[in-house]
Amino acid sequence: MVMDLDYDRSLYGVEHQAGPFEVTREMVQAFSKSIGETGPIYNDEAAAKAAGYSGVVAPPTMCTLFVRHVELPDIKLKFGRSRFHAGQRVQAKGIISAGDSLTASSHLKEVYPKTGRSGTMVFIVWETTFRNQNGQVVADVQESFAARE
Amino acid sequence: MAENTVYFEDVDLGDEIGPLERVARDQDVIDFCQLWGNPMPNRFTDQEKAEKTRLPGPILPGIMSMALMAQLLTDWASPESLKDLDLVFRQPVPHNKPLRISATVTDTRQEDGENLVTCDILMTGAEGERYVGGTALLSLPSRQAESG
Repeated sequence: MVMDLDYDRSLYGVEHQAGPFEVTREMVQAFSKSIGETGPIYNDEAAAKAAGYSGVVAPPTMCTLFVRHVELPDIKLKFGRSRFHAGQRVQAKGIISAGDSLTASSHLKEVYPKTGRSGTMVFIVWETTFRNQNGQVVADVQESFAARE
Repeated sequence: MAENTVYFEDVDLGDEIGPLERVARDQDVIDFCQLWGNPMPNRFTDQEKAEKTRLPGPILPGIMSMALMAQLLTDWASPESLKDLDLVFRQPVPHNKPLRISATVTDTRQEDGENLVTCDILMTGAEGERYVGGTALLSLPSRQAESG
């Protein structure tokens, strides 16, 4: 049986912009430290430059830090009493390094139900595209939130 | 590139990557949340806030778990090798407990001039708890291309 979901479908096709987000050496180093990444290219500018990068290299999922700064509207989903972060996807398209300036553009990608052993959940997926200062797409990030009965 | 280059020709179906073993301490999560700009205390850093959201205790942010899992792959290959990491958060990931991250190669193929490797990736706990699972796609250099 197809489930008829009640939410604000007018949000499809609307882009929500944020940024610019400056990627600093200190930020990359702090991110690396918090996850225990000790690789020289992520921590030491000289090592990164010697390896051919323009600055310390941001670990590929670091851009996910900026997603929460995009103001996303309530989709007014009439389902479920609680929501949780169900999944995350990063499609890396280019290297991000210290000195880069990123902008983010987010849109509602899809809303769909799924029924499993624990009942029915509705998944809300937002997609955010990050571009650098040259307009190059460097990452697409998808965040899934599940609403549960 | 990574210090030790992993070439496509050296990777085979069923190969294991890792494990990477980590313990995310309270302070690591606080540092991460500070960088993230997530106001504290929150369910990631505070027992009471966690309990209010029906969690047994503070947990790792999903994006922090993701960063740890990406690290396994980028340390194995290189930062530019990782093309796609798609994860499902199955259970809350606790602080101060051993975390084991490993991956298994499930496919290798050459497509549109790229040497692609697909992996299943998993973060587990000391008792075998399956915290986070998913798939990853990597593009690796070829020995043939380098020698040619």
